[in-house]
Amino acid sequence: MTALTARLRALQSWQVTLAIALAALGFLVAAQLRSEGPRVRYTSQERSPLIETVVSLQRNQDALKSRILELNGQIRDLQGRGEGAAVLVRDLNDQLENARIAAGLVPLEGPGLVLQIADSTLPVPSGATGADYVISAQDLRTVVDALWQAGAEAIAINGERVTAVTAISDIGGTILVNYAYLTPPYQLTALGPKGLYDRLTAVPSFAELVRTRADAFGLQFGFAEPEKVVVPAYAGPVNLTAGRPGPPSQPPASGGP
Amino acid sequence: MHRVSAQLALTAVALVLGFIVVLQIRAQSGAADLAGRSAQDLTVLVANLNTRNDQLRGEIAALEGELGDLRTAQDRGQTSVDQLREDLARIEGWAGLLPVTGPGVRVRIEGPIHAGAVDDVVNELRNAGAEAIAIDGIRDVPGVVVTGDPGALTVDGKAAAGVVEIEAVGDPGALGGTLTRAGGLVAQLAATEPGAAVDVASVDSLALPATTRTLRPPDAVPRL
Repeated sequence: MTALTARLRALQSWQVTLAIALAALGFLVAAQLRSEGPRVRYTSQERSPLIETVVSLQRNQDALKSRILELNGQIRDLQGRGEGAAVLVRDLNDQLENARIAAGLVPLEGPGLVLQIADSTLPVPSGATGADYVISAQDLRTVVDALWQAGAEAIAINGERVTAVTAISDIGGTILVNYAYLTPPYQLTALGPKGLYDRLTAVPSFAELVRTRADAFGLQFGFAEPEKVVVPAYAGPVNLTAGRPGPPSQPPASGGP
Repeated sequence: MHRVSAQLALTAVALVLGFIVVLQIRAQSGAADLAGRSAQDLTVLVANLNTRNDQLRGEIAALEGELGDLRTAQDRGQTSVDQLREDLARIEGWAGLLPVTGPGVRVRIEGPIHAGAVDDVVNELRNAGAEAIAIDGIRDVPGVVVTGDPGALTVDGKAAAGVVEIEAVGDPGALGGTLTRAGGLVAQLAATEPGAAVDVASVDSLALPATTRTLRPPDAVPRL
């Protein structure tokens, strides 16, 4: 037995607990201090009615999305239990499950990468553009595209799944993903084969983003490669209202040559 | 005596910890970065959130209807094969696994343009409610990326034609209007991409192909 383990054994359990609690405390104090970035902060007294409206609408949206996920789960369950013309129904259900997974309607887990991107904490020099020091929607789109190029198989940003119709947009400097208002820092969870981070750093557009945004303006990039990442399901309308699925209806053949 | 003081210390630390956790969570969940925004920006944000929440309510109503139908059918010991097929076609069409036809817009970009600017156009179309998009005949699904230098772009790894064509199915008025409004993306591109001519046209019927990609992630398993 080494001297270290002997010493650890000699420690009282409350000392260990206290040490862990203090470490957590230190971490949270640091996190609290760090969250004072170049974006303007406010206290509750300064909140305008419009800001209150935004916050409460986003809260409503979160509740609506939870309800959609719940309903989707119940429908999936019921359809999966379908009896009747067994082979046909089972076959259709398998196809439905595949389609839902392909569409991003099912949460997935597997190997992958978590990237965190945060605003710069550098002071904005007078005469400089403040917007350069905060993450833009375009920055996020660049990272998402680079992740796809690196071989990512599914991506979510702060819990919003990136689907075929997902827009990542700037509204006056705030970022909407799937029309949900996201607060920084931004965590991109990407599911993909092992070694995703190494391949990401080899993608030219990602290397350029790090050079032009992180090196030049102090945007903060961090990453982790946990054993397993979870990419949540998309919670939103899955509608074709203008469009119709299936091949175009063929005009009747106009006779031979 | 020793135990008591240890417990007191632990209690104090736990209290402070809890307090800071709450502070931290509040700072994260609140609109911490909204303060510097103009009333105009906030109004646009409110409008976006309102529109989305209405869409989500519509989706909830549709799903509740579907669930009710399913339960009724199951109570009678039936399974609606038609409903399963309809669901399957809707999800496959939406995901890009089936072709989609319908009205929309066609955006033609002639002349060299940056890959990022093409991505901006595609993102703006999604933001305006496009239901399905194809870039140079390649269905836009997760994983499809436009890369390369102006004049030598590739879409999903395939060399793009000299004229990049983006087709989007959706409400032509909403899609076209968003791009071409005063100060909209087309106007911005005229300044930032002077080498490229961007033309937006409404089309009565577009036919977008299905993707050739495998969309089921091979390394992932559904999380139950």
